Amino acid sequence: MQQMASVGPLSLSLTQRVLPFYDSAMTLKRRAAGSSELFSMLEKILTEKFRQTLRMVFTDIENQINRRDEEEFAKDELRIKEDLLSQVETYPADVLLDEDFLVAAVDGSGTDSLAVYDDVRVHLLSTSTVVLDTNTRSENLFSPVDRSALEREVGEQPYIDAHWHSGVRGDARKKLAETLVNVYPLKDIVDLILPFFRDFTNGRINSYSDLAGTEYGKYAPRLKEMESLISREQILTNPTVHEEIRKASEYAAIRKVLMSNIRPRYVLIDGAMSVFMHFVRHYPSMPTGFMLRDLCELARKNDVILCAVSKNHTIPFAHKIAKMAREKFGEGAKWFCHLPCKDDPGGGLHIYEDRTYIPPMLAVPYLFSFSRDNRPSRIDFDRIWWLQNVFVPDDPHATRENEKALFRELEFMSRDARWYGYPVPLALAHESCKLSYEDLRLAREICQDVRTEMGYDNKKSEPLRADYDL
Amino acid sequence: MTTRSPSHFGLTMICEENGMPIDQDKLGEIYGRVGMGNQTQLGIMGSNRDISVGEIFMIYSHRDGHERVFFFRVLGLENYLRQVDDMSRIASTLMVEGDAYLSGIERNMLLSVGGRMLGYAEKDGDKWVFRSPRRLPDHLASVYRPVPGTSDAFVREMLQEQTDGDIFVGDLQVGEATLDVPVKIPAKFLPMHVGIFGSTGSGKSNLMMVLIKSIIDTNLAALRRPNDDLTRVSAFCIDPHDEFAKGVDRYGIQHVIEAMSKETRSDVIGDFYYLTTHKGATPREIRRYARDIRILWSEIQPRDLYSIMEFSPQMSSFIDAQYASEGEKWISSILAMDEDPEGAPKGTLRAVKRRLRFLERSPIYVESNPAPILGDIFVAMETGRILVVNTSLMSDREQFLLTTIVTRTLSDMRRALKSSGNLGDFEKQATMRLPKSFFKRVKAKALAFYGKGGTAEDTPVQDPRDLPVIQITVEEAPSILNPELMRGQSVFKDISRQGRKFNIGLLVVSQQVSVLDNVILSQMNTEINLRLGNEREIRSCIDNASVNISGFENEFRVMSRGEAIVTASYRELPLPVRIPLFDTVFERDKHTYKNDGKRKAEKYTL
Repeated sequence: MQQMASVGPLSLSLTQRVLPFYDSAMTLKRRAAGSSELFSMLEKILTEKFRQTLRMVFTDIENQINRRDEEEFAKDELRIKEDLLSQVETYPADVLLDEDFLVAAVDGSGTDSLAVYDDVRVHLLSTSTVVLDTNTRSENLFSPVDRSALEREVGEQPYIDAHWHSGVRGDARKKLAETLVNVYPLKDIVDLILPFFRDFTNGRINSYSDLAGTEYGKYAPRLKEMESLISREQILTNPTVHEEIRKASEYAAIRKVLMSNIRPRYVLIDGAMSVFMHFVRHYPSMPTGFMLRDLCELARKNDVILCAVSKNHTIPFAHKIAKMAREKFGEGAKWFCHLPCKDDPGGGLHIYEDRTYIPPMLAVPYLFSFSRDNRPSRIDFDRIWWLQNVFVPDDPHATRENEKALFRELEFMSRDARWYGYPVPLALAHESCKLSYEDLRLAREICQDVRTEMGYDNKKSEPLRADYDL
Repeated sequence: MTTRSPSHFGLTMICEENGMPIDQDKLGEIYGRVGMGNQTQLGIMGSNRDISVGEIFMIYSHRDGHERVFFFRVLGLENYLRQVDDMSRIASTLMVEGDAYLSGIERNMLLSVGGRMLGYAEKDGDKWVFRSPRRLPDHLASVYRPVPGTSDAFVREMLQEQTDGDIFVGDLQVGEATLDVPVKIPAKFLPMHVGIFGSTGSGKSNLMMVLIKSIIDTNLAALRRPNDDLTRVSAFCIDPHDEFAKGVDRYGIQHVIEAMSKETRSDVIGDFYYLTTHKGATPREIRRYARDIRILWSEIQPRDLYSIMEFSPQMSSFIDAQYASEGEKWISSILAMDEDPEGAPKGTLRAVKRRLRFLERSPIYVESNPAPILGDIFVAMETGRILVVNTSLMSDREQFLLTTIVTRTLSDMRRALKSSGNLGDFEKQATMRLPKSFFKRVKAKALAFYGKGGTAEDTPVQDPRDLPVIQITVEEAPSILNPELMRGQSVFKDISRQGRKFNIGLLVVSQQVSVLDNVILSQMNTEINLRLGNEREIRSCIDNASVNISGFENEFRVMSRGEAIVTASYRELPLPVRIPLFDTVFERDKHTYKNDGKRKAEKYTL
């Protein structure tokens, strides 16, 4: 098939070039092999029938989604264009800031199947904290701070840890809770949960005792133990458990930064500030929801701007907003777009009125683009902080100026040529924490080695899909 | 008994209690880590330093209890950025987005260095031994960059087998710097022929002067320490541009001679060292030590002419017949003839006379002369002296004939010696081989040189290998060492193959390797490869080298004047060398010529 794929004029598509030869080759093959041979997936993909299936799918998308999009988007188009979309006023390349500042970023990685021993799954987590100095007075913009000084403040970097639980003995919740308690630096669960309540109720609930007499009163006993903060027990699959631990590990690293002497102006995290709420109890369904709000409160106290950046943003019509920005500001322009909620002047947008978590609870999302070559990304800010520092009631112009100042700095930290348009501290944190295939392979070997050292039997430990060579 | 000690990897190493582990600080500054590769080619990841092609790194390895230092030569360099797979994309972003930067990039800027493994050094008992690259360094072994001033002594010790000798060529080059590790050629390998290959401007003249000085130093050492049984070297050095004596810049061989005391000078150079066509035209200070080159026709044999120009079979038959009948007077007899002799095809005489005409016109080839030089040359060569031969006023033919006559005369003398058991035999053999009148003039001296404690007929004779090594320069080598002339009765064909038996070696100087005859190239054991003119010569040089230097093409392309790669069949390591300027080495050493060795010893005794 590889040989066949090289024939034909280049003006035709690959399949168009290959098909005539393929069809005749297949005829010969069938005749030679008889009629009962199995077809491979590749053979199916190269058929006209598959092309027809695709045509139907794309037509469907066009009819159902894209046409509907035009109608829905039209409702918000003018407001987005006039009020919400703005161009970033960038710093010149040789800017000397009045005051240089530090930017911290945290990212995490890992695997939910470092090793599988019978029914026990061992997870591997890695987290990395990076702190950069804007350093505009030298040629080394956004230079990393001294590594040993950083590690003295926040511990060894990158950080790795392990978690285990059995997927079949109903211990997922218990083991998850144990790990979360170990990982997160704030051990008092009451102190952990209160920031959410303070923010969510606008200060009405300020202490544990204030829970009594409110809709949360009956849940108060559950709010004292980590295990009982884990509501989504039914869906504690390995990926879910892994996701929760990874997030907690990242949040733990952020807490260490916020509690340290580093004093960054910004702390960036990967992901959104969405807090998934229990449908009935109206508080976060998983401990990381509480952790995030704890961080937001701590950041505000320490005058740190906490931002969550996500490439995979699930904002509907982001492509249309980007197109509008290009038309309004020009092809290479850098821009941002506020995505208001129902409580903001003018209310929320129609394009996401049926989405529960856009905008996320207690967060303010923006869509932004600092690079013409990439699709727009999303950045979330703590709403309480935003209301105190960006939003000026009844003064949209002043609000806009605050937004521009904020995005000017965010754009300035997003010009590294390796990841142009994406905040460099986050990119470096990601590079630092990611585990390559080879890293994982070595980690698995070390698992075996350690087991041998400890005198345990050498059982198969690869993920189950590796069995039977499948 | 073995002891365990921690390595810098945190793994335990087992060291022999009696052997000391290598002090890795002595290797130089740590540069990088071994990446991919095999026992001949290696890739190293190193710091973003100013590395150049040609640098030598040392790799410390400890495998299975064997401590080794591998030597690696840089042949290629590539910029490498960690976390970046596609550098072109980054470069284009920097170009297109004028405000782009690279955060914290310095620690991620590395160099990917590729090159050849040259071999490794390991201790064998107390001695360092160097071996060809048949092993591999450890995984991720540490790579060290030698630092002049820090690494010199240790490298010298490790590579002593590979660099030590008698005749200094230059200092071991590591990139653009040099270490204080002199690279020398052992005198015992000079008879196996040395090639100096380099294009115009590559530094051949300076190299020749450095070699001549080094030969003088070797002979001086032999004189001052007679009990150490040091080898003396004689050299017949063709100076095609009359540069060696006066020097190219400030100093020349003349200054070395003048720096000596009278006694030392007499011991080292005798009465003269400089040969020229017209002594009267020589500067006064050199004239004191100069002689006119006058070779008698009777000292020329037909073979000498056959070695430098082509004769048809008819011409050589005619000449051989004349030589057989007229003996030493063959040239004058041919020149006096008017008609073709009987049996010889018509026109043979004219053609031969045309070829011999230059002898008539030449001031150095004479029918008679009161002070012919060949005998003095013989004496000089048998007593460990250097001769600088100014050929700038000679024609090429005169120069080539001179080299041939000297080579043939000396090799015939030593061949006669080798074929004899005593001086009586020797006299018979020499009389058969050499022009009678010449041998008569030098006989007394020859018997004195060659007899072991006496000059009586039954006195046993020396082995030529116990006599001074004789080096004869063949300049413009393609003119006489080409396949056409070497096919015939060339004197140099014999010397190429058998020179080592007689302790006579050729120093072949050529701008081109590709046109030299294979016989001489295949017999050559030492090559000093300077900068070459074109790709074909580079290829030929690499193919001819006595050590495998394939992959060094890049290096030849970037070589500067005065840089060379020394290859030798008796060594495993191709040695990059920087030949110092003659003026520099003279300035450094001139005080050593003044002192009489004895006087210096007495001073210390007091």
